[in-house]
Amino acid sequence: MFEMKTKIRVAIAVTFGMAVLLAQGQADSAGRSILKGAAVEYLYPEQVTVVAGRPSTVAFHFRIAPGLHINSHTPREDYLIPTTFSIPEGAGVRLEEASYPAGTEMTLPIDPSTKLNVYTGEFAIQVRIVAAAGNHLVEAKLRFQACDKSACMPPKTIPVAIDVIGK
Amino acid sequence: MVFPTAERKLAPRQVAGGSYNKAERSLPLKRNTLVITAVLFILATFAWAGWANYEYRKQAAERLAASAAQGMLAPDAAGGAPQYVTPLKGKPAPAFTLEDLSGRKVSLASYRGKAVLINFWATWCAPCKIETPWLIELRNQYAAQGFEILGISADDIDRGDPQKLSDEKKAIARFVEQMHMPYPVLIDGDALSKPYGGLDELPASFFVDRKGAVVAAQVGLTSKDEIEANIKKALGN
Repeated sequence: MFEMKTKIRVAIAVTFGMAVLLAQGQADSAGRSILKGAAVEYLYPEQVTVVAGRPSTVAFHFRIAPGLHINSHTPREDYLIPTTFSIPEGAGVRLEEASYPAGTEMTLPIDPSTKLNVYTGEFAIQVRIVAAAGNHLVEAKLRFQACDKSACMPPKTIPVAIDVIGK
Repeated sequence: MVFPTAERKLAPRQVAGGSYNKAERSLPLKRNTLVITAVLFILATFAWAGWANYEYRKQAAERLAASAAQGMLAPDAAGGAPQYVTPLKGKPAPAFTLEDLSGRKVSLASYRGKAVLINFWATWCAPCKIETPWLIELRNQYAAQGFEILGISADDIDRGDPQKLSDEKKAIARFVEQMHMPYPVLIDGDALSKPYGGLDELPASFFVDRKGAVVAAQVGLTSKDEIEANIKKALGN
């Protein structure tokens, strides 16, 4: 009888666990759909292999939605939010230096005196990293603030997921 | 010679107390376990489906509520640039009470009887910076007729961290000072995001008449003339 009860408990636990996993999958897919129409999209790489313990340069590629621009890393005015790339500490991968592309000079049609320095279309950030030996699932971050020719969206930080293998 | 063998085969069928031996009872038990597992799985699947359906309906209702408050661009009848149309038009402007930079509470209700331009802006918004001098000129021009602007900063406010809050307030105050904004500037505009249709883009302006109803709205940088035309609508000119 005791054996039977144990089996029932195990069966309940297994079915409940499966239901939770299914539900989580559903919730994740719903969450991802919110990213539709994002101003900036991370393109590649998804995985890199580097020499463990030594600095390696990786180019991270992004695409900005048509009709939008984001401030470059060095915008013309102090009040504008620069584009920045970061890797959280403790990820097994250290960011030594990020080298940003030069922005394009731009003015808004309604006020040519306002000068902006922006990225449009696709751009890449060259990042020097040092990875410990092993496989590291890193969630780097890109912070930016996007606008079109007449309006701006609030600043945003998007995840940049990459699998770094240190050999 | 045959009988003893048959007896040996039958003998294990009965044990003390009349119960079955281990080998024989394991089969029905396994079947029971499988049946119970299958039933539980089906029940759990139904429960999960019900929960997922509830979540889906809840999210759909939230999306519907958000889109109901959200404006859209519509073609201009006169053939000009598309006009921003808000579902708030003709309805009472959503009430609010926010703090200004000194911590004083300011409510929209206290401006009843005046035409009010509620202007959402942020320190990081270049088009807002272009628009602000126009707003100041128009405010000074129409103030005598009972017109006021409430500038509402949509900059992030971190109330949980006093040091951050102080820095954020300083950044907003610096912008206000640089731009010489003469009208009340309120903070924490994100709190009004939902009632005012999302505020996904800045600048965003809502023109409220003397009775407190929204008569027009603009999103994005337009022109001084267009802002002035909407101020006149709010004043009832």
